[in-house]
Amino acid sequence: MNVSLRTHVGDLALQNPVMAASGTFGYGLDLVEFCPPERLGGVVTKGLSPKPRRGNPTPRIVETAAGMINAIGLQNIGVEAFCRDALPELRRRNVLVVVNVFGETQDAYLEVITRCERDEGIAAYELNVSCPNVTAGGMEFGHDAGTLMSLVARCRASTSRRLWVKLSPNAPYLVDTARAAVDGGADALSLINTLRAMAIDAVARRPVLATRCGGLSGPAIKPIALRMVDEVHRALPAVPLVGIGGIESGRDVAEFLLAGASAVQVGTAIVRDPTAALRIAGELEAFCAAHGVADVTELIGGLTC
Amino acid sequence: MIARHDLPVRVIARSELSPTCFRLELVTGEPVSAAPGQFGMLTCGDGLDPLLRRAFSLAGVRPHENGAIVEMLIKEVGRGTGLLHHLPLGAALRLLAPLGNGFTLADGSGDRLALVAGGIGLPPVLFAAEQLAARNVAFDLYLGAASSAELLEVGRCRSAVEVVGGELVLATDDGSRGEAGFVTAAVERRLAAGRRYLRALACGPTPMLAALARLGATRGLEVELSLEEPMACGVGVCLGCVVELEDGRFVPTCKEGPVFAASRLAARWRA
Ligand SMILES: Cc1cc2nc3c(=O)[nH]c(=O)nc-3n(C[C@H](O)[C@H](O)[C@H](O)COP(=O)(O)OP(=O)(O)OC[C@H]3O[C@@H](n4cnc5c(N)ncnc54)[C@H](O)[C@@H]3O)c2cc1C
Ligand SMILES: Cc1cc2nc3c(=O)[nH]c(=O)nc-3n(C[C@H](O)[C@H](O)[C@H](O)COP(=O)(O)O)c2cc1C
Ligand code: FES
Repeated sequence: MNVSLRTHVGDLALQNPVMAASGTFGYGLDLVEFCPPERLGGVVTKGLSPKPRRGNPTPRIVETAAGMINAIGLQNIGVEAFCRDALPELRRRNVLVVVNVFGETQDAYLEVITRCERDEGIAAYELNVSCPNVTAGGMEFGHDAGTLMSLVARCRASTSRRLWVKLSPNAPYLVDTARAAVDGGADALSLINTLRAMAIDAVARRPVLATRCGGLSGPAIKPIALRMVDEVHRALPAVPLVGIGGIESGRDVAEFLLAGASAVQVGTAIVRDPTAALRIAGELEAFCAAHGVADVTELIGGLTC
Repeated sequence: MIARHDLPVRVIARSELSPTCFRLELVTGEPVSAAPGQFGMLTCGDGLDPLLRRAFSLAGVRPHENGAIVEMLIKEVGRGTGLLHHLPLGAALRLLAPLGNGFTLADGSGDRLALVAGGIGLPPVLFAAEQLAARNVAFDLYLGAASSAELLEVGRCRSAVEVVGGELVLATDDGSRGEAGFVTAAVERRLAAGRRYLRALACGPTPMLAALARLGATRGLEVELSLEEPMACGVGVCLGCVVELEDGRFVPTCKEGPVFAASRLAARWRA
């Protein structure tokens, strides 16, 4: 059976629904020998800030039951180095590039976007709003509907490119923040980012991570991510969603599409297997073929109750 | 750099080396070439728990039929290594390899190399020793462990050293075999007595590596250390395994290392 894997996130066409998630695929070219980025639905860059950033002290990662907690601290090469060193080759390869943006102030988000506006080859921006807002006492941008709407509105005014907002599962009212992002001008929502979590070494009587807490990802969070995609899709059925959280197989992708996502991102699966995103896209095709799905978009929001 | 591959492998042999350590031999279907100091990320089974692969230094690679046999020396310290210890022969795993850089091996001219291994830090040092022996490059080998029972592969170390007419120095913390005390003290005694080395190559517990970095700084000896930061991806994308360099940068040890010149590392390594 011939299966069409083509999908859309709003008006953005993807050759297949499987993208690489921010922070697990470098700047798009780091794993080319395992997973050519031009064969994925798209690639989301590591979060970029105006200047290079060193990140947190180590230990930064710890494995937990069917998951991992990371506290990388958004280490990145900075937007300038990305535009200079990676973007031209990504363009040459025809990769669908989504630039993940974060900042500790609204101005920092705008600085990243403004720099990117000078170059071709970026399909969308994805705002990581799980970053502490230093001008608001360190509360995350994504935790308060008013703060989020104002951030998104300012970013919206600075670009005509597509704007995605990546929702934090730690925000107290998921649907309120989703609505605030859309009201601010988001074209699509990606969800979810990592869940705040902690690991303790009982013998040493210490937190394992240098920063005490970090973000949980991997198969352990998939049921939570599915619930959140379903909840936002039912509240805002017209808003395109990109599902993220613990995806390990093509069948997992089908579940996210059924919950209402138009595309997905794969993160931790790439950390355990650099070929994962491509393998998962292949498995999705096989799943569709085995279940009589000729066009993958039939699955989107396709729960029967 | 030698190209990285995600290799399907099978467990073809396993043997006990000490109460806690074992040798694992993995057979691949395609040829593998790797340098001493490089490592691989090995799955411990096929479920989602444990989720991540485990990092192990390559202790040796030799051709076998159309592929290769990759050798690892492993200490059982937790779940993943426990699973590997008890997998049936023939079990299928995946190995990402070869990863990272390797030691700088000498070209055979000038002073000898000093190879220094502490405990389960032996694998990359053994790989280097056997390759140097094959190329007839002179070295001394210092092998330290907590006790006699944890001195691994002494016979192979001795054979490699004998090929090049070097010295094998054994040291145990409890004095149960060889010189008593830390292996770094054994190196220091010989340097103090006037022995000269081109470079020292080392792998072992962090305090041992730091002691060697200090020794190198005070004695003007170039030292290369193979570091063991906890890793998740092994291929440079997660940025979990960083180490701080002298210039303040955090770099992933899986990609820019695991071998670093001690002089490139942040000053606290030598303080
Ligand atoms: C580049 C590199 C090369 C390595 N080479 C070898 C080798 O040749 N032989 C060998 O036996 N081991 C080696 N290690 C260490 C090995 O990766 C760990 O022992 C292993 O990951 C532990 O897995 P586990 O599931 O058994 O332990 P876990 O259950 O995950 O942890 C058990 C204990 O081991 C400690 N531990 C976990 N990961 C590491 C780590 N990466 N380094 C040190 N301690 C750790 C934990 O803190 C904990 O105390 C190497 C590590 C690196 C980074
Ligand atoms: C090591 C690591 C680094 C990450 N870095 C970022 C980042 O820079 N920006 C971001 O928005 N999300 C980041 N994430 C979150 C992922 O993009 C993803 O939302 C999350 O891990 C859940 O998906 P998963 O379970 O498939 O990993 C990171 C995740 C991991 C594991
Ligand atoms: S282990 Fe992921 S960057 Fe080194």
